[in-house]
Amino acid sequence: MSRDKNVKVGVYICHCGFNIAQTVDVYEVTGFASRLDCVAVAREYKFMCSDPGQELIIKDIKEMGLDRVVVASCSPLMHEKTFRKACETAKLNRFLFQMSNIREQCSWVHQKKEEATEKAKALVKAAVMRVVRQAPLDPVVVKVNPATLIVGGGIAGIQAALEIADSGNKVYLVERDSTIGGKMAKFDKTFPTLDCAACILTPKMVSVAQHEDIELLSLSEIEDVQGFIGDFTVKVKKKARYVSEKCTACGECVKACPILVPNSFEENQVARSAIYRTFPQAVPNTYLIDKEERPPCRETCPIGQEAAGYIALVAKGRFAEAARLIRRDNPLPFVCGRVCYHPCESECSRRFADEPLAIKNIKRFVMDWELKNKALVEVPKAEKKKKEKIAIIGSGPSGLACGHELALRGYSPVIFEKHEVAGGMLILGIPEYRLPREILNMEIDFIKRMGVTIKTNMALGKDFVIDDLFSQGFKAIYIATGAHKSLKMAIPGENLEGVLHGVDFLRDINLGRPQPVGKRVAVVGGGNTAVDAARTALRCGAREVTVLYRRTRKEMPAEEAEILAAEEEGVAIQYLVAPVEVLGKEGKICGVRCIRMELGEPDSSGRRRPVPVEGSQHDLAFDTLLIAVSQEPVVDFLTGKFPLNVTKWSTLEVNPETLETNIRGVFAGGDVVLGPATVIAAMSDGKRAAEAIDKYLNNEPLADFTTPRAKKLAKRDESFRPHRYAPAFKETPRVPRTKMSEISLEKRLKTFEEVELGLTEEEAMKEAERCLNCGICVECQECVRVCEPKAIDHRMKDEIKEIKVGQILLATGYATLNSKALSLYGYGQFDNVYTSLEFERIVSSTGSTQGRIVLKNGQEPRAIGIIHCVGSRDEKYHPYCSRVCCMYALKFAHLIKDRTDAEVYEFYIDMRAFGKGYEEFYSRILEEGVNVIRGKVAEVVQSGWSKKEEGTLLIRCEDTLIKKYREIPVDMVVLCNAIEPQPDAGDIQRLFSISRSPDGFFLEKHPKLDPTATATDGIYIAGCCQGPKDIPDSVAQASSAAARILAYISKGEIEIEPIQAYIDPELCSGCRLCNDLCPYTAIKFSEDEGISKVNEALCKGCGTCVAACPAAASQQNHFRDEQIFAEIEGLLGG
Amino acid sequence: MSYLYYPGCSLESSAKSYDVSTRWVFQSLGKELVELEDWNCCGATMYMSTKETISLVFSARNLALAERMGGDVVAPCSSCYTILNKTNKILKENFILKAKVNQSLKREGLSYHLKVKARHPLDVLVNDVGIDAIASRATHSLEGLNIAPYYGCQIVRPEGVFDDPENPTAMDKLFEALGGNNVYFPVKVRCCGGMLMTTFPEVALKLNKEILECAVENSADCIVTTCPLCQINLDAYQKKISKKFKIKVHIPILFFTQLLALSMGSTPKEAGLGQNLVPAGEKILGGRL
Repeated sequence: MSRDKNVKVGVYICHCGFNIAQTVDVYEVTGFASRLDCVAVAREYKFMCSDPGQELIIKDIKEMGLDRVVVASCSPLMHEKTFRKACETAKLNRFLFQMSNIREQCSWVHQKKEEATEKAKALVKAAVMRVVRQAPLDPVVVKVNPATLIVGGGIAGIQAALEIADSGNKVYLVERDSTIGGKMAKFDKTFPTLDCAACILTPKMVSVAQHEDIELLSLSEIEDVQGFIGDFTVKVKKKARYVSEKCTACGECVKACPILVPNSFEENQVARSAIYRTFPQAVPNTYLIDKEERPPCRETCPIGQEAAGYIALVAKGRFAEAARLIRRDNPLPFVCGRVCYHPCESECSRRFADEPLAIKNIKRFVMDWELKNKALVEVPKAEKKKKEKIAIIGSGPSGLACGHELALRGYSPVIFEKHEVAGGMLILGIPEYRLPREILNMEIDFIKRMGVTIKTNMALGKDFVIDDLFSQGFKAIYIATGAHKSLKMAIPGENLEGVLHGVDFLRDINLGRPQPVGKRVAVVGGGNTAVDAARTALRCGAREVTVLYRRTRKEMPAEEAEILAAEEEGVAIQYLVAPVEVLGKEGKICGVRCIRMELGEPDSSGRRRPVPVEGSQHDLAFDTLLIAVSQEPVVDFLTGKFPLNVTKWSTLEVNPETLETNIRGVFAGGDVVLGPATVIAAMSDGKRAAEAIDKYLNNEPLADFTTPRAKKLAKRDESFRPHRYAPAFKETPRVPRTKMSEISLEKRLKTFEEVELGLTEEEAMKEAERCLNCGICVECQECVRVCEPKAIDHRMKDEIKEIKVGQILLATGYATLNSKALSLYGYGQFDNVYTSLEFERIVSSTGSTQGRIVLKNGQEPRAIGIIHCVGSRDEKYHPYCSRVCCMYALKFAHLIKDRTDAEVYEFYIDMRAFGKGYEEFYSRILEEGVNVIRGKVAEVVQSGWSKKEEGTLLIRCEDTLIKKYREIPVDMVVLCNAIEPQPDAGDIQRLFSISRSPDGFFLEKHPKLDPTATATDGIYIAGCCQGPKDIPDSVAQASSAAARILAYISKGEIEIEPIQAYIDPELCSGCRLCNDLCPYTAIKFSEDEGISKVNEALCKGCGTCVAACPAAASQQNHFRDEQIFAEIEGLLGG
Repeated sequence: MSYLYYPGCSLESSAKSYDVSTRWVFQSLGKELVELEDWNCCGATMYMSTKETISLVFSARNLALAERMGGDVVAPCSSCYTILNKTNKILKENFILKAKVNQSLKREGLSYHLKVKARHPLDVLVNDVGIDAIASRATHSLEGLNIAPYYGCQIVRPEGVFDDPENPTAMDKLFEALGGNNVYFPVKVRCCGGMLMTTFPEVALKLNKEILECAVENSADCIVTTCPLCQINLDAYQKKISKKFKIKVHIPILFFTQLLALSMGSTPKEAGLGQNLVPAGEKILGGRL
C-alpha cells in the first residue's frame, strides 16, 4: 500500500499478433510506460500469454526484483489467471499484479491509430498508478458442500443427476412438473436411430427414483437462492399433491372424478380428470390432484358447502353422490335448497360471464331427487358414543345444526323449544308456500333419528333456568333462541287496532291461528319478513297489499326472486316512502301518513341513507298495517339471575371465534348473537358451537377450528379466469340461467301450496353444466370415497423445504413458439394444422390416437406437408436456428411413410443434417420417396375459397431450386415451430444471478471453451436452457457439467477472491447504517465496542457498505478508495 | 385537434367517390378535416424503389407542410399512407438522409422534424372516434348485407401500425358493429396486382380473379376496400375477368367510407355512389334511390 519510490513496476505490452499491434502503437506505449514513476522496466512482446511471454515476466521479477507487474493485453476474463500464476511462480503475490485491457477497449473499437494509442497509454498509466497502491492478499479457501442441486428433470437433468449420484454424492433433483422425463417423454421415436424414446428414457427415470443418493422433489419450484459456490442455501416450494405415497396407482379415482380439463402432456389434444397421473411410466408414479384456488361458492358459504362439488356431480347425472356430498356438510339440506339466501350465487364466477348459477335450485333438485328415489343414505352413526349431556336452547336452524354436529361427534344432545313445534324461525317465520311443513318435519325427524332429543313447550326463563340444567347434569349449554321481537317504528298511532307486527302475524298464521286482515293492507319494511307478510296477507284474503319501503329497489334486502314473485301476485311496492303517523278513527287504523324520501350519503351499512323530503307529507288509506322493519332478540330472561353479558343491540356478547359467553360452559350463536341474520349464518354458528363444546368437554384449547366460516374473497373482475385452462370470464360463451316452473298464479293466491316446482333432471343437469369449475378440482370427495389405500387428502398444504448445496446445475429446458403467432400458417384456424409436439403425441403409441395418423374426421390423410423453420431463422420471431427441426421433420416423414400411404412434402430452407448418422438418415428418407422442397412457405390456405370446401389445405411456396411458385394440396400440415426460452427464464436468471444471451437462453461462460459453466461460480447450465440442441448434445453437456461439479466435490475446497470489506475501528462512528444495507447480513454491531464489524465468512464483497459509509470507515480489500482514485487519476492523465 | 387531409392524386380523379364519402363521414361525426395546403404527389411506391432520396423529399415536403400547419396527416389512399409512414421511418433511422432531405426542403423555407404522424382514416375512425361512437350515430343497419372487407397489401404492411399485418380486423369489427355480416374472406390482405394491371395484365388479372371469386363464392354482396388502386383494379376488370376465366363475377366494389356513409344516413350522392363502375344494387342502397 505504500507509495514508496523504491517500488519497482514491470510493464508488459502485448501485440496479440495483429489484434492489438495493428491499431495501437505498442512501441510508443512501451516507451511511455518506461518513463512513468516507479516503472523499472517496460517491454512489448508478440504474445504475452505464450510460454516465452510469461517467462519474460518471471525472469524480470527474479532478476530485477520487481515487486509489481502490469500487463496490457486482452480482457482479464481471458488471461488474468495466466498472468497471476506467472507472478506466483516467481514468488510475487498475485494481488500485486494488475491487468489492463488494450484490445477490447482500444484496438478493437478504434479506427484511428493515434486515438487508440493515446487511450492505451492512459489505461497503462492508470494500471501503474493503481498497482503501486495494491497490497498482497491471501486467497480465502472455502469448503465445498458435496451436495448438488439440479433444477429440471428432463433428459439433461436426469443424466447429470445419475452421474453425480453414482459417485456417492447427494443430489437434489427439483422438477416443477409432477413427473420427471421432460419433453423427451413425449416423443415416440428419436432420430436418427429411430429407437423408442420411452425405451431409452424410462429406465433412467426409474434409476433416479430408486437411487439412494438422489432426492427427487417433483411438483416443486425454487423460491430463493442464497450463498456462493461451495455453500448455497436454496428454498424449494414443494406443492401439495393431495395424494400421498400410499397411492397404488390403481386409477379408481380417475373413474370417479367428474372434472375434465385439457391434458397438457398430450398437448391439450385430449382431456384428463382433475386427479391424474401424467403418463403411465411417470416418476414418481403416484397420482396428483390439479387444484388451484378453492371455488368462491364454497369459500363464501358460512358452512363451507362444497357447492361446486355437487354441481359437477349433477352435471354428470350422479345425483345420489351429489346428495351424499350435500349431506356431509349440511344438516338441513332440504331447507337450504328452498330458503337459503345463497351467498354462493352472489359470488358465483359465472356472474362475470352472464348470470350466476342457480346453485340453490340445483341443491333443491338433488334433495328432491333423493326423496323421490328413496336414495337416502342411512342416518350417519358416530364411531364412538360420548356420555356428556349437552343442552341446546332453541330448535331453530342454529340449534338444529348444533344438535346435528354434536350427534356426528357422538353426543346425544337435548334441544329445549319454547313453542309447541320445533323449527324456530323456519316454521314460525317462513310461510308454508316457500317451505312446506312435511319437508321441514322430515328434516327435523332425520336429526332426531341421529340421537337428538327435542323437548317442546319448554321455555327458558319460564319453565326452567340455566342453573336447573347444570344441576340436572348438563355439562355444556348452547343458547340459540333467535331474534323474535319485532321492533316498533316509534311513530304516533302504533297501538291502534289493526296495526300488527310482521313476525307475530306470520307466527300466528304458521301456528294455524287464522288472523283477520282487512281489505287494504300496508306492510312497512323491505326485508324478507316484509315480503313474506305481504304475500301471506294476500293469501289470507286481502284485496290490495302495498309494501312501503324507504329506499329504492336496489337497496331492498329481500331476495330478488321473492320480490318478483310478490309483484307477480299483485303486491304493490312503493319506494322512497316512510310512515310518520298511523291515522286512526275510533281506535282503529284508517290510514297512514307518509313522507317522501330521497337518498343521501351512504351509512355504515354502505347503503345510501334515506332523507325526508320537506313538505312531501301525504295520507294513504289502509285498514291493516303490518310492521316488519326489524327484529331483535329477547334476552331479558337471561340477564336477571344469570349475568350473561348483553350488547346495546340486545344481543348476547360472545367470542366470535369460539362462541363462548362470559359464563363457562355456556355458548351462544345464531340470531340471539347476530341479530336478525340468515338461516345459513345461524347454521354456521350451530356447527361452530358444537365443535367448541366438543373441545371444551375434552379439555382441549378452543382454537384451530375446522368448522368453516364464510371467507372474504379477493376482488375479481371479468378479465379473470376460473382456472388456467379456461378462457377469461368475458370470453366465456353466454348460456342463460335455467328457470324453475311454478304453480299457477290463481292457485298461488288461494292456497299456501309451494310455489316453485323445482328443476327437472334435464334442467338441473343443463344448469349444472354452466358451472365453470373454478379452481379445477371442486372437492366433490368422490376420489376420497373410492380410494382404498386412503391416499387422498384434500387438506394437504404446500411446503417450503430448505436445502444446502455446494453447486447448482440448471437444466430447465425450453418452450416452443406459440404457432398462433404465425397466422399465415393457419394454426388454430384449420383443423388439421398441428405443431410438432402435437404431432409427436399423435404418432406416439400412447398418445391421443394411439399412434394412428388420422385427420380430425378420422380419415387417413392423402398428403401431409411438414414446414420447417416456423419462427426460426426468421427476423420477426427468432433469428437463430432451432437445430432439431430438420431432423425430427425427417423422422416424422419416415413415420408417416411407415404407417400410411400419404405423400409427404418437406418444406425447408437449408437441410441441416450435421450430426453423426444424420446425413445418412436424410439419404434414407429421400430413398423412401419423401418430397423435399427448398423454399420458405408463404402461407397455408384452404384449397377452395369457400367454407364449403373445408378440409383440403393448400401450401403456397416458392421452390427456389427450380425457381417456380408452387401450390401443394395436402390434408394435414405439421409446423416445426421454433424452440425458445422458457417463458419464466427471466425469473430463473434473477434467482440464480446468471446472464442470458440476446436470444433469451442462459449465457455460458465461454461459447467455445466453457459452454457448461456460467459467469457465476458454482452455477452450471446444460440442455436446451442454454440453447436449442438435440438429445445427444443435451446428454453430452449434462455429462460435462457433472464432471465439472464432481471436480470441485473431489477437491473438497475452493479458493475465492479475498475482496471482503472491513471496517476501520478508528473511523467507525457506530451509526449502524451499513447493518441493514448489507444484503448478506454480514455486518453486526458490537454493543461492547460501539462499532460495526464485518463477518468475513459471510461478506461477498459487493461494496454496498463501502459506498454507504458516511465516515469512509468501511473499505473493501483490493478496491480501496486510494487504489480506485489513483486509477482514475491515471486515466485522466494526472 | 384537427386532422390535415391529404387526398393525393387518386382521390381527385379515379377515386372521387372516396374523397366525397370520407369528407361526408368526418363532417357527420364532427371531426374537422382541413386540407393540407399546397400538397404534392406522394411519389408512390414505384418512385421510392427507383430514386429513394428524391422520393423522400417529395414525401417529406408534405410532412413538413403538415408540421408547419400542426396536426396529423390523414391519408385515405393506401399508397400515400404507406409512403408517408415509410418516410417517417427512414428519416428517423437515418440522420444523414434526413439532413439531405432537409437541405432540399430549405430552398422552400421548409424543414421537417419528424413530428407528424401519418394516419389512415380507418385508423382514425376506429381508434380515435371509436366503433361504439360510430355505431351510435348509425341510422341504417347493415343487417342482412354480406360484406367482404378487403384491406389490400399496404395499409397494415409491413409495420402493422394500427392493426395486425397478417390478419387485420378493424373493418370487420366496424361493419359487424353496424349490423353487417362479414363473410369468410381469407384473401383480405392479398395483392390486387397494383400497377401490374398496366404492365403485366396477365398476372394482375389472375390475382384479381382470386379475390373476386373468393367473395362471390362466399356469397358477398359487395367487397369493401380502403385503397383507390385496389378499388379500380377490382371494379374495372370484372367483365374481362369473367370472359378470360369463364366465370361470372358482377359485384360492387365500395370504399369503406361509402358503406359507412350509407349506414350513417347519407344520400347515395353524398356517399359518392354514382362513380362505381359496378353499380351498388338495391340491397346496398336499402331503398334509398
